[in-house]
Amino acid sequence: MSQENTGSSVKVKIQKFGTFLSGMIMPNIGAIIAWGLTAAIFMTPNGWFPNPQINNLSKPMLNYLLPLLIGYTGGKMVDEERGAVIGAIATIGVIVGSDQPMFLGAMIMGPLGAWLMKKVDNLFQHKIKSGFEMIYDNFSLGILGLMLAIFAYFIVNPIMVTGSRWASSAVDAIIRVHMLPLANIIIEPAKVLFLNNAIGNGILVPLGIQQAAQAGKSVLFMMESNPGPGLGILLAFMLFGKGSSKSSAPGAAIIEFFGGIHEIYFPYILMKPILILAAMAGGVTGTFLFSVLGGGLKAAASPGSIIAMLIVSAKGSYFGNIVGVLGAAIVSFVISAIILKNDKSTDDDLATKQQQMQAMKAESKGEAMPSSTEAVNSVASYADVKKVIFACDAGMGSSAMGASLLRDKFKKANINIDVTNMAIRNLKDDAGLLVITQDQLADRSLQKTPSALHISVDNFLSSPKYDEIVANFTALSQVNDNDTKKAAEAANETNALDKVDFSKVKEVNFIRHDQHVGTSTMATSLFADKMKEAGKTVPVKAVRIEDIDDDPSHLVIVTPEAERNLKLRYSKIQVIVEDDLLQGKELDEIVAKLN
Amino acid sequence: MKLKTNMIKLDQEVPTRDQAIRIAGQLLVDGGCVAPEYIDSMIARNNDVSTYMGNFIAIPHGTDEGKKYIKETGISIVQIPMGVDFSKPDEDQEQLVTVVFGIAGKDNEHLNILSQIALFCSNVANVAKIADAKTPEEIVDLLQEIGK
Repeated sequence: MSQENTGSSVKVKIQKFGTFLSGMIMPNIGAIIAWGLTAAIFMTPNGWFPNPQINNLSKPMLNYLLPLLIGYTGGKMVDEERGAVIGAIATIGVIVGSDQPMFLGAMIMGPLGAWLMKKVDNLFQHKIKSGFEMIYDNFSLGILGLMLAIFAYFIVNPIMVTGSRWASSAVDAIIRVHMLPLANIIIEPAKVLFLNNAIGNGILVPLGIQQAAQAGKSVLFMMESNPGPGLGILLAFMLFGKGSSKSSAPGAAIIEFFGGIHEIYFPYILMKPILILAAMAGGVTGTFLFSVLGGGLKAAASPGSIIAMLIVSAKGSYFGNIVGVLGAAIVSFVISAIILKNDKSTDDDLATKQQQMQAMKAESKGEAMPSSTEAVNSVASYADVKKVIFACDAGMGSSAMGASLLRDKFKKANINIDVTNMAIRNLKDDAGLLVITQDQLADRSLQKTPSALHISVDNFLSSPKYDEIVANFTALSQVNDNDTKKAAEAANETNALDKVDFSKVKEVNFIRHDQHVGTSTMATSLFADKMKEAGKTVPVKAVRIEDIDDDPSHLVIVTPEAERNLKLRYSKIQVIVEDDLLQGKELDEIVAKLN
Repeated sequence: MKLKTNMIKLDQEVPTRDQAIRIAGQLLVDGGCVAPEYIDSMIARNNDVSTYMGNFIAIPHGTDEGKKYIKETGISIVQIPMGVDFSKPDEDQEQLVTVVFGIAGKDNEHLNILSQIALFCSNVANVAKIADAKTPEEIVDLLQEIGK
């Protein structure tokens, strides 16, 4: 998450920051909806089915559950599990003693706590004697967490409260000088930073109640709770968005407009902060139309749903209220649509955001994501490996165990390669590394060492991949040096295909040797399918190694380890070396070149 | 439920898909999971709707009728390195299968492991590992790894 972005423009920075903020909210939208529905349905007395007992859930959910989840997620983005835990501890300090939901405080304390934890770990981690890692890990986190919670309680909390008070008084000042619609220029950005309740319930509602007591209705109730601007933005995403933000927008729009849960559209704006302009324009339009057309509510519309608004609309104000909401939606829709349509930039942040969301979706649907092990074969080859590093999230001990296991296996197999272990954050992208890590950390280690060979394992202690690694190195060390270089070159150079005379090929063969009969069966079938799709006629067969005629009409596709045996037996057949017989990148090229 | 090594048969060569299903079914019978009648129900189900799953695997199991023959939940595995075609005679698209999972599922106890198998086998490279395995333990290890 904490990648350095070379884009130095202010826009990119804001974008990155927005993505970071929305990354804390996105995974927790479900919890926000759970709270929102609880409030919308059971709120007393304005809910659909008022129930004071169930309504007891909604306040703690809003004040504790949601900020804690956000702090947890924010910490996790900075420093994985450790960061998540310390982020949550730090967040509780902001929550306690405040009567408002501390979303913003959580979004500060979560990442801050995790970042400090990282710093502390960097100072002490390497000094810890082996065997004491667990003690250090747990106590350092506990002690720092306590300090952060106290700091948040006494320092951050008051700052947050003061900040939201300032925002409120700014709105208040604008109202006093009768420039009502302009208040929305402040309200909308503040809303998106999750100050919506602070502004709505903290200032607009109390002022509105005063007004309504005198005049029977007030526009102030609608300035923050108007669902129009959010609806417009979500509709624009529905039509002109990209990827998952597009596909999730319709559901979000329904929840926002009819359920009155405005929080659901904030992340969309955080993703593309420029959209705040659309929200502002929509808000200003709405408030202007309410004021001009004599709109107004008798009481606070909470949640800010169109249904709640209509229920508490003052007599004779229906027209103004409906037109105001629709006008706001139309204006914000048009502006959002223009922004989204002109968004040709291949925005990395948005792309990664969407990738993450796609990944989450895929996980939730139980589709396997391609693991980084598949990349292994395309990144480099074993021939270049000079050093094996087990990387883990500092101090877990598992990487040390894994390293010693593999060292042992190497020793038994007479492989002369160093095996060490270290924390991911200390990885350096040197030449000739093979980095082994746990699946969950594969992405991070890939970021740190893009040019290394990567293998990820489920479990450091009992992974069949170790034996594969050993087998690969063994195969290499048995070939003499020249052949090693040749095989490595062949595997790395796509130009190897240029050496093959495809016009002579009358038959493509995969070798059935003792180790991988199943693989060769499957590879033959997959390759034959590819040939059929491409309309090629050359037959594809799996054969035993002794059953090949030594003739250039045979094109044999083999793994590096089998190539050795082949070269011992045959001199005239044409050979292509492919690390991954099932999914190798070169296979398609080969198909294209065949008759 | 767990996979048991005595329910795994390696390196089978079979001429037809029915033969492959019978081996998988017999393993279930020998393992005390089903009555022998279940095997016919597996064949019937596969003729009705093919249990070929793509990615070189098939998961033959009984029909609704056949459920009464299940004594306890179990999964058998038959490795067929040379492959067997699971397509019907009238289909021209070959459906090659190298790993057959025989399924006897009671009260949804098998769903957990089945979804693990599905996840694992969604990557064809993983299927190849099962198809190449030299010992039953290796296959159990491969599949148990997922749940961790």
